[in-house]
Amino acid sequence: MEYPREITVIQATTILISTIIGVGLLALPLFAVRTADTGAPLVTLFGIAIASTGLGLITFLGIRHPRKSIILYGEDILGKWLSRVPNIVIILFFAILTGLTSREFGAVVITAILKQTPLEVTVIVMLILAALSTRNDMNVFAYIHNFYVPFILAPALIIVALSLKNANSLYLLPVVGNEPGSYLVGGLTIAALFQGSFIFTMIIPFMRHPRKAFKASIWGMVIAGGLYLLIVIATVAVFGPVEITNLLWPTLELARTTSIPGNILQRLDIVFLSVWVIAVFTTLFSSYMFTVHSISQMAGLRDHKMLSFFILPIVFVIAMIPQNILHLYDVIEIFGRLGLILTVGYPLLLVSVDLVKKKVKKSGSIKA
Amino acid sequence: MSWSTIKRSPKRRSTKLSKQPAATANDNMIPHKLVEELPTDQLGRNLDTTIELLKNLLGKNADFFCRKFQMYGKFNAAIIYFSSIVDKNAINSGIMKPLMYVPVQTDLEKLTVTNVLDFILNEAMFHTEIKKEDSIENIINALLRGETFIFIDGVNSGIQFAVKNIEKRSISQPETEQVILGPREGFIESLQTNIALLRNRLKTADFRVEIMEIGRISKSTTAICYLEGIATDDLVKEVKDRLGKIDIDAILDVGYIEQFIEDNHMSPFPQIQSTERPDKTVGSILEGRVAILVDGSPFSIIAPVVFNQFYQTFEDYSSRFLMGSFVRIARMIALVFSLIFPSLYVSFISFNPELLPTEFAVAVAGGRAGVPFPAVVEVLIIEVAMEILREATVRLPKQVGGALSIVGVLVIGQAAVEAGIASPITVVVIAMTTIGSFATPAYDAAFALRMLRFPIVIMAGFFGLYGVVIGVIFIFNHMLSLKSFGVPYMSPVTPGNFQGLKDVIIRAPFWWMPKRPQMLHSQNSDRLGKTKGESKKGTSNTLDPVMVGNEKWEEDKSSGISTRDNSHSSNNDSN
Repeated sequence: MEYPREITVIQATTILISTIIGVGLLALPLFAVRTADTGAPLVTLFGIAIASTGLGLITFLGIRHPRKSIILYGEDILGKWLSRVPNIVIILFFAILTGLTSREFGAVVITAILKQTPLEVTVIVMLILAALSTRNDMNVFAYIHNFYVPFILAPALIIVALSLKNANSLYLLPVVGNEPGSYLVGGLTIAALFQGSFIFTMIIPFMRHPRKAFKASIWGMVIAGGLYLLIVIATVAVFGPVEITNLLWPTLELARTTSIPGNILQRLDIVFLSVWVIAVFTTLFSSYMFTVHSISQMAGLRDHKMLSFFILPIVFVIAMIPQNILHLYDVIEIFGRLGLILTVGYPLLLVSVDLVKKKVKKSGSIKA
Repeated sequence: MSWSTIKRSPKRRSTKLSKQPAATANDNMIPHKLVEELPTDQLGRNLDTTIELLKNLLGKNADFFCRKFQMYGKFNAAIIYFSSIVDKNAINSGIMKPLMYVPVQTDLEKLTVTNVLDFILNEAMFHTEIKKEDSIENIINALLRGETFIFIDGVNSGIQFAVKNIEKRSISQPETEQVILGPREGFIESLQTNIALLRNRLKTADFRVEIMEIGRISKSTTAICYLEGIATDDLVKEVKDRLGKIDIDAILDVGYIEQFIEDNHMSPFPQIQSTERPDKTVGSILEGRVAILVDGSPFSIIAPVVFNQFYQTFEDYSSRFLMGSFVRIARMIALVFSLIFPSLYVSFISFNPELLPTEFAVAVAGGRAGVPFPAVVEVLIIEVAMEILREATVRLPKQVGGALSIVGVLVIGQAAVEAGIASPITVVVIAMTTIGSFATPAYDAAFALRMLRFPIVIMAGFFGLYGVVIGVIFIFNHMLSLKSFGVPYMSPVTPGNFQGLKDVIIRAPFWWMPKRPQMLHSQNSDRLGKTKGESKKGTSNTLDPVMVGNEKWEEDKSSGISTRDNSHSSNNDSN
């Protein structure tokens, strides 16, 4: 684990971007509009702020323990046995997150492109792809994320740009929303979409200069968050808050309304969705890698390769638990909230214990 | 040469020490094994014994030649060589002649068996490449390489003459890598000539050619070429290590070596570049790579490589950068085409016809009306037919090849459509794909994509666009995890390097790329001098009509009107 520390700041940034941007983008405007109608962009901003706090805490911890991931420094800070509980919960949570992501995208695929293909097939294809890719080491992990970022950002930006001609700025007013007050709930839901950024804790130990991790996390958050914000603004501006509540995946609808000049292709949604497979893959890949890597770290294994296929059936079963799309989104929302406790609360706990410990140590040493 | 000793396996060493006398050399023994079992490697003094020994070992060959003669009228001597691989003219005039005639001012009386060897080596011989050899094993190896030996009775060493002459074809245009702008020379099968082609382009003391012998039986001469001070020492060492580990009976082509030293044997992508162009090889050597050549192969292999090298040609650099960039972009499009075009077609037709513009969709449906198969089967049938046709055209003699391609075109293009096996659009798609794969300059890289096209078409048949994207992700992930001698295969794209990116999609002008590729970690990374190539500032537009006109003016009429300009141009002239 000590040997290949060569992930650069740019690579770390791209890992963050491509991990955060995932299938959540499709339903994002709906979540935002549900809680604060025209205030959706503001809620999104709020969500980004909450997520940034979590990421900041992780980065802070990571810089304090530049050779270890949260699994290992959790052991240092809380003690070996006490940390077992949160570690297992984190691993479980990311296994569930992997399952739910693949399920969510599988649902999108069978609804939009492959209407006659069984859900199980699309899900398992995606999971196998992720599992196969996790058999590589952490540098290849970084290369893969780095390579795909343009393919993730470009279609989203093109959709936003092309949809501007249908936009109506009145839909965005009032900026604060018609019934402000439920910002916190909406913010939390949206912050849950950024949970993938938690895997940054796995990346920092592999960075060439862990001290520069803050730079990576700021840029990653700005770019990924900025894209989320743009998508929300564009969707709300095109459809208006009332219409969006009737749409399951407003971003997909946004892609559907756009067309490229020249009449080469009549519809773009399917092309965008296909390219979006990449975005989903990278997200899935990250959470899968985090699960596998963390298990191997907890068990003290040197290599995580053999675990990749070992947990595949487990993740697949988790993905199949929700009965239908509505149930799926309920589950996602619940786990999103619970996950926030884990991805923001647990680092907060670690930071405070760590700082207290340090203070105690300092004062102790002074006394001695 | 020291490498040949390293190559020898310890087992063979031990057999050499076994106490089998040479006298038992019977006809059933395999000569090479016999050599190893000789009691001593040292040549004896008796000429007849030596000749007997060599005849026992090699005499069964029709081209083995041995002639006894009187040297200077007083020494018994013998000349031995393989007549098929030596230059007889050189032997006659350069070796035999000076041995028959005693040099004019020589005191023949003073010559004895003790000093005759030095006399021949230092005074009598006209031939330059000459040396003393007394190890039997070396003598036999040298004989088999095409050297000639003279043995003198009473002297316990032979004299070795390098007179090797093997028929070789002349240097011709590289068949598989043609260029419009650029040198026309290609490698040939002779290693000496190939190294000459390289050395002619690299007139520096830093250019190193190290020789190894690989192959237990073939003993193929292998040359490792690199630039000292530019290629990293570790890389050179690694290459030598990997070459040293090869243990095979024969290396018949440099492709054998490639398969032994590549990193991932199961990958469809080539991880070592092979080229028959000396200019390309030199270009790679100058970037800090190592080239390997083998005697008998008209290709050199270059390591390490990255993927983008496979769609770059020498022409990109020898032509102006705008041309080079344009052609390179066209080639990249062709590359993408050859990989995913048929699968895109399948997924559009079978899964999402609504994406196509209506008129086109109607036309496609009309064309496919008589075809009973699903699109994926149709595409696969035509693809396979195309592959067969392509392979057949390569194998067939040239006279028949033309006829076959016409038949192929007719069968595939016309008859198949009329027979209802394929729709016209399918034929167009496959034709474009095939043309696209021909546009990739590196044969082996094009082959990789050609192979990968099939699984992607099948994925497209199952999952439509979703399947295509999954397949492409899978391929890219594999490429991202590949390494060639530790260099990530997709660099300089990932891991990114800004300097390197200027040479990936476009070919940036030389003065934009002052450094050698960063991923090779060259010891000396500066390719360009400090002046930069854009020598705009220094130019004086000598033939600018304004200046030329003014100059004349000044000469004609001393009282010119625009004195300042005149003085300027005349100053330029005098300088």
